[in-house]
Amino acid sequence: MNPKKTVIFGLLGTVLDGAGKREDRWQKWRPTVSLFQHEELLVHRFEFLHDEIRDGLAGRVAADIATVSPETKICQHKVQFRDPWDFEEVYGTLHDFMHAYRFDPDREDYLIHITTGTHVAQICMFLLAESRAFPGKLIQTAPPHRSRRPNTGSYTIIDLDLSKYDRLASRFRQKMRDDVSYLKSGIETRNAEFNRLIERIERVALHSTAPLLLTGPTGAGKSLLARRIYELKHQRRQVAGPFVEVNCATLRGDAAMSALFGHVKGAFTGAVSDRPGLLRAADGGMLFLDEVGELGTDEQTMLLRAVEEKKFLPLGSDREVASSFQLVCGTNRNLQADVAQGRFREDLLARINLWTFRLPGLRDRTEDIPPNLQYELDQFARSTGAHVTFNKEAASRFLAFAASSEAAWTANFRDLNGAVVRMATLAPGGRITVGEVEEEIARLKAAWRREAMTGSDEDVLRRMLSDEQFDELDRFDLVQLAEVIRTCRHSRSLSDAGRALFAASRRRKSSANDADRLRKYLARFGIDWHDLFRE
Amino acid sequence: MITIDGSMGEGGGQVLRTSLALSMLTGQPFRIEKIRAGRDRPGLLRQHLTAVRAAKGICGAEVVGDAIGSQELTFTPCMVSGGHYEFAVGTAGSATLVLQTVLPALLVAKERSTLLLEGGTHNPWAPPFDFLQRAFLPLVGRMGPKVRVELDRYGFYPAGGGRFRVTIDPVAQLAPLELVERGEIHRKRATAIVSQLPMDIALRELKVVGKRLGLVVDPPDIVFVKDPVGPGNVVLIEVESENVTEVFTGFGQHGVRAEAVAEKVAKEVRRYLAAGVPVGEHLADQLLVLMATAGGRFRTVAPSRHTTTNIEVIKAFLPSEIITACVDEARGVWEVEAKKM
Repeated sequence: MNPKKTVIFGLLGTVLDGAGKREDRWQKWRPTVSLFQHEELLVHRFEFLHDEIRDGLAGRVAADIATVSPETKICQHKVQFRDPWDFEEVYGTLHDFMHAYRFDPDREDYLIHITTGTHVAQICMFLLAESRAFPGKLIQTAPPHRSRRPNTGSYTIIDLDLSKYDRLASRFRQKMRDDVSYLKSGIETRNAEFNRLIERIERVALHSTAPLLLTGPTGAGKSLLARRIYELKHQRRQVAGPFVEVNCATLRGDAAMSALFGHVKGAFTGAVSDRPGLLRAADGGMLFLDEVGELGTDEQTMLLRAVEEKKFLPLGSDREVASSFQLVCGTNRNLQADVAQGRFREDLLARINLWTFRLPGLRDRTEDIPPNLQYELDQFARSTGAHVTFNKEAASRFLAFAASSEAAWTANFRDLNGAVVRMATLAPGGRITVGEVEEEIARLKAAWRREAMTGSDEDVLRRMLSDEQFDELDRFDLVQLAEVIRTCRHSRSLSDAGRALFAASRRRKSSANDADRLRKYLARFGIDWHDLFRE
Repeated sequence: MITIDGSMGEGGGQVLRTSLALSMLTGQPFRIEKIRAGRDRPGLLRQHLTAVRAAKGICGAEVVGDAIGSQELTFTPCMVSGGHYEFAVGTAGSATLVLQTVLPALLVAKERSTLLLEGGTHNPWAPPFDFLQRAFLPLVGRMGPKVRVELDRYGFYPAGGGRFRVTIDPVAQLAPLELVERGEIHRKRATAIVSQLPMDIALRELKVVGKRLGLVVDPPDIVFVKDPVGPGNVVLIEVESENVTEVFTGFGQHGVRAEAVAEKVAKEVRRYLAAGVPVGEHLADQLLVLMATAGGRFRTVAPSRHTTTNIEVIKAFLPSEIITACVDEARGVWEVEAKKM
């Protein structure tokens, strides 16, 4: 066992340490000397800071310390404060001292004595310890309280690492739980991965003003989460300005530039007055750019400059304007792939994806369907005033469907929201029965099937494949695979689809087993027949 | 290995110091647990650590657990070697307690020793220097070794900073000590010492002890400390008898009147005189460890908790039989006998 050595740093207290005449100084409480008079506090070294003028007093104090504490090595350091009440000077001097000092925290424990020195010096020492420029704890001494022992007094060691205090730590944990719960809109989600994700977001959101990027499929809750992050930061007084949300997919052409960056009167035909633009509206607040991947290249360039320099040029203006906001972006696209294809600026992506959080879709969180279902019912009650419930059988029927492979949930929580609103509206007497549920299941299935049939090649494939798989596809395969999938979905069975797809070869009798050929083709993309009907 | 329960009896630093002294003396390793358990600052304090390190230095011991607040310590002694040693005690802790720890082993070491001890010389929780010099060490001399002490500087609480030198001429084997009769009282003497405090304090103290003990205090015997390190005051009463000299000490304290200090020590002296025994309570404590190795007996007042605790620790290290018996209940006279096995 080799216990760590204790090292104390302290400033000479010109008043308290100089207490008493030479004769009766031992009758007085002198904070610096008192540090070394405690039987249970063994100090191996004292780094004693004082100025030139007080050399005499410092010498006497050091000699008295040596008497009461022969175990302590005393190192005197001269530090000069022209004005010991000047914060900048004192902080700078102490900071330089600490910076130059060779700390060895593996072998030594450090304490800094905050009872002596001006109040400014005490504040500086506190700040140095708090910022870890001084890697130790605070020690505060106090005079004796009518003690028999005339001058030893007491001391308190204060650790600024708040996590070391059980009650504080549990309070912070509770606060964090509250915040996390707030970000989840109070929904008691059970999916462990999702819960971890939200905890991470909470930590980052409250400790960083860097841009956040929220990815994930449509309807996964990016927009709601962005607004919740803003509200949490607003409550904490971390942002004062407004929450400005815009879906970039709705911005096209000249209007996009103007909407985002504003214009001056007369910038173009129809610009009859100044328009500040959304970026300026978000000044001091938060800007949420949803579908950021849909932004045009010019807008991307402007946005990059606005994010990097907090300045941009409104349309038609020759004067830059400033706006400082926290940027949150949302996308369901693979922006890396867009960068590779030259559709998205690499430098802008690097700026906005310092923190990327991928929100899982509803199908990856089936255990969260029941609490979300309850949440949707509560929301319905709040907006319509109608309290609607499921009967037991209806609830279990709906949940069984919702978690099954039959349910595609292509628009994720947006689909769930729509389903609940429809069932709740149609429910007789505020009670959803199996009837409404079956009707809704049929409606959802039909909608998903329609979507699967009518979607663009890209939509069809994106729903089938992972982002990585999709990005690997050549355009050539993209068209072919999309058509194969559509055909399959129209068919009753694999053989049926095979017959349809290979009808020509079949007529020439050059193909023996259409079903097998189709199965092998799909397998090349990791697709199984049954996968096709999950969506 | 010998295991000592550090919380036994009065459970303070004395258990540790006695264990260290006996371990060095007998060459037996020991482990002490629950050091100062139940105190508001449990475990080893600085003064204990100094004693442990002094003991370690003198016998080249291997030590585990020598840290502030440690409640367990293992001490494995090697060879005791005499020579020159210097020890300094912080917080005005008593340097005499360090001497008490290392002395028994050095009394029977092969070489002569010289020690330079710094720290408190006169503080209320330890035998003061004058007691060692005039009461205890002459009795040690009767057991064979010659020990001389010389005070360089006084060290009072809270400043400490005292210093004294010790010269030890050892013997191979301590002779038994027999101290049953006090004999005729030759002389009673009161001395007051003041450091950085008004002379008046000394005068008032001497006046009270003079009146209570029937002493002539004119001219007053006052030591006015030159080149003082810090303030302090004691009043010493020396009772010199045919077979023994006892020294009693009153400690001046901040906020306690000089007269009260003097009254307290005078009362202690009167109790000793009334009991008619040669050995007072504190002297008994000091003699025990040495007598346990050399054999002998003495008469004293009713054993204190301190004394009974010491006996328990001794029994853990030595096969000696220590018998304490009350021989005169009316006057509270006890006899302590150590039979060497």
